[in-house]
Amino acid sequence: MIPILLGVTLITFLLFNVVGGDPALQAAGRYATPEQVQLVKAELGLDRGLPAQYLFFVKQIVSFDFGRSWSTKQTISKMIMDGVGASLSLTIPAFFLTVFLSISIALLIAYFRGTFVDRAIFVICLAAISLSSLVYILYMQYYFSFQLGLFPISGWSPDWLERWEYLTLPIFIFVSISLGGSVIFYRTIFMDEIFQDYVRTARAKGLSHTAVLFKHILRNALIPIITIVVIEMPALILGSLLLESYFGIPGLGGMIFQALQSADFPVIKAMTFISAFLYMIFQLISDVLYVVVDPKVQLK
Amino acid sequence: MKRVFCSSNLKVGFAGAFFLSIALSLISCTSKKNNLANELRIASANLKGLDPVATGDETSSNVIALLYDTLFQYQYLKRPLTIEPNLADGMPQVSKDGLVHTIKIKKGIFFSDDASFSGGKGRELVSQDFVYSWKRLCDPRLASEGFWLFDGKVEGLDDWRKAVQKDGKNFDAPVPGFQTPDSSTIVIKLSRPFYQLHNILAMVYTAPVPKEAVDKYGKEMVNHAVGTGPFRLESWTRNSQISLVKNPHYHGVYPSVGDTGDAEKGRLAMAGQKIPFVDRLIFYEIVEDQPIWLKFLKGDTDITAIPKDNFDAAIKNKDVAPDLAAKGVKLDRAPGYDLTYTSFNMLDPLFKNNVNLRYAVAQAQDTKTTIEKFQNGRGIEAQSIIPPELESYDPNFKNARLEFKVEKAKEYLAIAGYPGGKGLPELEYMVTNSSTARQGAELFQTDLGRLGIKVKISAVSWPQFLERLRDRKFQVTGAAWVADYPDAENFLALLYSKNASPGPNNSNFSNPEFDKLFEQAARTPPGPARNALYQKMRDISAEQLPIIPSTHREGYSLYHGWVTNYKANSVIVDRFKYVQIDVPKRTQLKEKL
Repeated sequence: MIPILLGVTLITFLLFNVVGGDPALQAAGRYATPEQVQLVKAELGLDRGLPAQYLFFVKQIVSFDFGRSWSTKQTISKMIMDGVGASLSLTIPAFFLTVFLSISIALLIAYFRGTFVDRAIFVICLAAISLSSLVYILYMQYYFSFQLGLFPISGWSPDWLERWEYLTLPIFIFVSISLGGSVIFYRTIFMDEIFQDYVRTARAKGLSHTAVLFKHILRNALIPIITIVVIEMPALILGSLLLESYFGIPGLGGMIFQALQSADFPVIKAMTFISAFLYMIFQLISDVLYVVVDPKVQLK
Repeated sequence: MKRVFCSSNLKVGFAGAFFLSIALSLISCTSKKNNLANELRIASANLKGLDPVATGDETSSNVIALLYDTLFQYQYLKRPLTIEPNLADGMPQVSKDGLVHTIKIKKGIFFSDDASFSGGKGRELVSQDFVYSWKRLCDPRLASEGFWLFDGKVEGLDDWRKAVQKDGKNFDAPVPGFQTPDSSTIVIKLSRPFYQLHNILAMVYTAPVPKEAVDKYGKEMVNHAVGTGPFRLESWTRNSQISLVKNPHYHGVYPSVGDTGDAEKGRLAMAGQKIPFVDRLIFYEIVEDQPIWLKFLKGDTDITAIPKDNFDAAIKNKDVAPDLAAKGVKLDRAPGYDLTYTSFNMLDPLFKNNVNLRYAVAQAQDTKTTIEKFQNGRGIEAQSIIPPELESYDPNFKNARLEFKVEKAKEYLAIAGYPGGKGLPELEYMVTNSSTARQGAELFQTDLGRLGIKVKISAVSWPQFLERLRDRKFQVTGAAWVADYPDAENFLALLYSKNASPGPNNSNFSNPEFDKLFEQAARTPPGPARNALYQKMRDISAEQLPIIPSTHREGYSLYHGWVTNYKANSVIVDRFKYVQIDVPKRTQLKEKL
C-alpha cells in the first residue's frame, strides 16, 4: 500500500506542479507584475527545485496541512473538515436507505422471479436508470418544494436536528436516482445465487422459499454486497456535486466543483490525493470484510 | 407456518421502509419562515472571504461593503453617479497642483465589538487606521489584487514596498505619501496628479481595518469582520449563508436628493432617516439558477437578478411579465458600466500593420445576435470604448465601422490584401473552456466565415488563458471590462501603452498620441476640458480599432412589492443598506405567491 500511496503522491504532484501551467500566475492575479508573480512563487514554495517541492507536498499530506485555497484564502484542511460533515449527512442516510430498499425489492423480485411482478419492477427500474439525475433534481425540486411546498427549496442549518428539514428531499432524490440501478444489480446477484447447488439442496431438505432466500441466498450474496457498499464509501465522503449545488448543502462536492471552476490548484491537488487515498483504504477494508463473511477467503 | 413467518419478515421490512419515509417527511414539514421578521433576504454566489484586501470578487465586495465602510461613497439615488463623504467629514481639500489631498474624518465612529479589542468593546476609528489599512493593501507579502489602486501614485510608496519586501519588519516604517497629522486628519501626497483618488477611496479595498483585529486573526481575517459598516457579522456558514445584523450605532442617513422619477417611486419617503432599515440581512449562497429563481418566486428572497433561462418567463417587452406583475413583482434596470469587446493582439504583425483587416473583422461582427442570444437582449451595441452613464459619453457618437455590414467587411478585406479571405492564414481565437465562451467563439467563427476567413477556436483553461495573455501569445480573443469607478479613464486605460500585458491593455496597443492624451487627462481636473481629452482618445480608438467594442450590458433585477427604496447599481456595492421591507405587506403578498 505504501508504494501505491507514494505513486499517487508522485502522479498528483506531476500533474499539478509539472504538467499544468504556472500555478503562480493564477495565484498572483490577472494583472500581477513579474515581480509580484515571483513573490507569490516564493510564498507557495514554487521557486524551489522540483524535488524540494515534492517533499513539501508529502509533508503537507503527512501533516494534513494543505495550505490555503488560492480562491478563498481559507485553510484547506478546515474547508475539508467543514464540508465532510455536510456531505455525509446527505449521502450516508441516502445510501443506506437505497441499499436497504434495493435489497428488499431485489429479494421480492427474486421471490416472485419470472412473474409479472418481476417483469414490471424490472421495466420500472430500467426506465428509472435511463433518466438523467439532473431531471430528477430539477423536477422534484420544482414539484415537491415549489409547487407543493412540502420541503424548503434549498438551504442548510448547522444544527443537526434542524438540517433534516433541508435534507429530506435531497435524500429522497438520491434514493430515487440510485434505486433503479441498485435493484437490478442486487437482483442479478440473487438470481446468480438462486440457481446454485446449495440452494437446490436446501430446498430438497424441505426449506421454504423464504427461508432459503433469507438464510442462504442473502448470506452468500454478502460478498458482492459488501464490495459495492464499501467501494461506494469514498464517493459518499466526497459528496454529491449536483444535489449539494441545487440544495445549498455546503459539502465537499460543491467545494470540489468550485475549486475546479476557479482552477484552485491547492484544493484540487488535496482532493485528488484524498480521493485516491480513500479508495485505497476502503478497498483494503472490503478485503478484510470478505474474510469476516466468507470463511473460505483468507488474507495472505 | 415458517413461510408465513418469513413473509411477515418481508412485510416488516417494507413497512419499516415506508414508515421511515413517512417519518422523514414529517420531520421535513417545511417550517413556515418567519415572515414577520424585518429581514432582507438575497440569493448570492459563493463568498470568498471578508477581508477587504484579500478578496476582490464582486460577491464578496457586496458583503464586505456592508460590514466595513469607506471614506467616500456614491450618492445612492443621483445619476450620473456623484461622490460624497461617508467616513470623511466633508470632501477633501486638494492642493492647486492636485498632488496633496487633505481629508478630515468623522469623529465618534466606532468599530464593531470584537474580542481583539481590550474588553471586547470596539474602539473609535482614527486616521491611523486608514493608513495602516492602505499599507496593508500595498504590502507586497499580501499580494492584494487591489494594490493597483495606489500603484505608482503615492509618494514614497515604491521605496516602502521594496523595504517591506526585503524585511517584513519595515512595515511600520512611514510611507511619505500617507500622513496623519492628528487622529482625525489624513494627508495623501501623490507622486502625480490622480483625480480618481476619491473614487478609489470609495472602493472596499481601502476600507479601514483595525490593527488589533489583524494582529489577532492574521490570515484568518478572511473569516472575521471588524468594521464600522451599517451591519455586523452575525454568522457565516461557508457556502450556505451569511447573516448580518444591523449596526444600531451606524452614522449614515437616507439621502434627501434623488434623480428623475425617484420621488414618484417613493424612494424619497425616508429622506434624512437613519439607516439601515432592516434588522437583519441574509445572503443565501446558491450557485444554481433554478433554486435562485424558485426561491424568489416563492418569496423566500426579496430581490434577485434574473437567471438567463428564466428571462423569457420573467420579462415581456422589457417589463415584468403580467403574471409576476400581478403578484406585485417589480423590475429595476440599471446600466452595467461595462464593455464587452474583441481584442486583437497588436503585436501580431498580421493585425499591427493592417487596419483594414481590423475594420473587416469589426464590420463582420453581428452584435445584435450577440445581444439577443447571449444577453437576452439586456444590452446595447457599443459605439466606443466609453459606456453610457459616464460624463464623457456622447450619445450622438456613432462609429460606422462597427455596423454589421458583410459587403463592407468584404471590401475592407480586399483592401487589406485578402480578397475573399484568400491568402489570409487561419486566425486563432482564444477562449476559456466554458460553454458560453465557446458559443461566443463559434458565433465569431460564423461571422468571419461569411468573409471567407477561417477561424480556429482555441479553448484553454483559465490559468493558460492568463498565461497566454501575459506572455502576449494570442491572436484574437473576447473580453469584458467592468468599471471599478465611474470614470472613462478606467476604460481608456485598456489602451494606454504602459498598461500593456501583464496589465489590462491586453491588446498591447501602443499609440504615442493616445498615450500623450491619456497622460494629459490624468493631469486635468474633472470637467469639460478633461472630457474633451477623453473624447479625443475615444476617436483614436475608434479609428484604430485595436479592440472592437461590442456591447454595454444592462442589469435587470426583480424585487417584490414589499421591498422599497431599491435602486440597482453595480458600482454602489453597499446599496442594501438603504433598502426597506414592508413587513405587513410581505405577509399579505406572500399569500398570493
